[in-house]
Amino acid sequence: MTHDLHGRIAIITGAGSGIGQATAWLLAERGAAVLVQDIDPDGAAATAARLDRQGCDFLVVVCDIADPQADRRIVETALDRWGALDVVVNNAGIGIDRSIEDIDETAFDRMLAVHVKGTFFTTQAAVPALKQSRHGRVINTSSRWALAGHDRASDYVAAKAAILGLTKAWARELAPHRITVNAIAPGGVKTAMVRHNLGETGIAAEEKLVPLGRWCDPSEIAATTAFLASDAAAFITGQVVSPNGGKTMVGF
Amino acid sequence: MSSFEGRVAVITGGGRGMGRAHACRLASRGASVVVQDILEAEAYETVRMVRDAGGEAQAIVCDVTDIRSVRAELAAMERRLGRLDILVNNAGIGGEAPLEEISEQEFDRMFAVHVKGSFFATQAVVPGMKVRRAGKIINISSIWGMVGHHAASDYCGAKAALLGLTRAWARELAPWNIHVNAVAPGGVITEMVLQQPNIESRMAEKIKLVPLGRYADPSEIAETVAFLASSEADFITGQVISPNGGQTIVGI
Repeated sequence: MTHDLHGRIAIITGAGSGIGQATAWLLAERGAAVLVQDIDPDGAAATAARLDRQGCDFLVVVCDIADPQADRRIVETALDRWGALDVVVNNAGIGIDRSIEDIDETAFDRMLAVHVKGTFFTTQAAVPALKQSRHGRVINTSSRWALAGHDRASDYVAAKAAILGLTKAWARELAPHRITVNAIAPGGVKTAMVRHNLGETGIAAEEKLVPLGRWCDPSEIAATTAFLASDAAAFITGQVVSPNGGKTMVGF
Repeated sequence: MSSFEGRVAVITGGGRGMGRAHACRLASRGASVVVQDILEAEAYETVRMVRDAGGEAQAIVCDVTDIRSVRAELAAMERRLGRLDILVNNAGIGGEAPLEEISEQEFDRMFAVHVKGSFFATQAVVPGMKVRRAGKIINISSIWGMVGHHAASDYCGAKAALLGLTRAWARELAPWNIHVNAVAPGGVITEMVLQQPNIESRMAEKIKLVPLGRYADPSEIAETVAFLASSEADFITGQVISPNGGQTIVGI
């Protein structure tokens, strides 16, 4: 079965909630050993509890992804335990809808540090091990907003767009080592982060603007990640897949 | 990985190359497949391969540009099998002629096979999909439809037109939960490629352009088609996935 991930070792950042949590669960369900990283110990523990119940092979690292030293520790922890690494899902992110006037330097720096620096240095730390893997995969989490923009949160939009730049550059740089690098640009996903920002009525209003008429569950984004992580996607690199219900269709 | 048990999939141009691979893969995941091709022996060979592997398959032998035949044959299949859930518009012809050498007849044929064929095959399956409020249309485009090529402008134009149909139908058919996406393969080793003059000596050159350093097997493209045809991609519509080994990485 080409979607099977038995024997693969995966790091999922921001796996304590939402899309990251769903991704950790799905990759583990398909056989991967997973390292669950999150800054929130309670979230990480919730993810771990289900992995534990299901008898999955997993590790938890609680740290701030914006700290490159911590990023190296994530990779070292995985290598200490499993001796190899095949998949990195750079998912850790933060989101707050602020207008340009309301984004101060601290907020700006934090936004870029979590998304861009976190993605960059986690991948940098992982690359030597991924080069040894025969199935190296980097899957970066961008956003539909990076494709189409948004009327607020320009710091978030820019950070998510930078992730597309990293994706395309690394796809070329790491191809000689058979490492594929792709991005997922989710549209509306019903995560706790978004429920908090918009509320249920806000989400219902947004759903009306989506051609398919709904937002998706985090598990649906995880399904795309699991596909890209598998052998079935071995010839896909440098690409962006956007599960967005048809909200955004953009040009080539 | 979800199963296609109980689903019926139509693959145009299913007698050879990628179309055959799509038929075999969808069938191996449980779909009953309808293999359309203009080439009778090839269509039945695909049917035999699917049946030998324990799957269900039927053949339709007609020219995909013969709208009356396509309509009549698909209607007959729908009556017989009860449903048509998935349509892969794959039938295609190649070419690598410079602009000056493309006659009106060649131009018309190129657009008839790719664009008109896909248009009317889709028109034929949509009513049933609307009734069931579910459907998957997958149009096979090409990286040449995304970024062009130094020859074969008729082919590039037709493949780009398929991207237009994809995005328009994604919006038009979303209210009925019909998902429409395109797959834009890069280099794939098919009969169509192998028939090119001096292909053996040119292959090394071609592969140099691919960051991953190889062409894909048709079965790898079939994996992307199968993913988009599956329930795992239910939030993906109006998108293009390009398995191209990193050869084409384009803007969003």
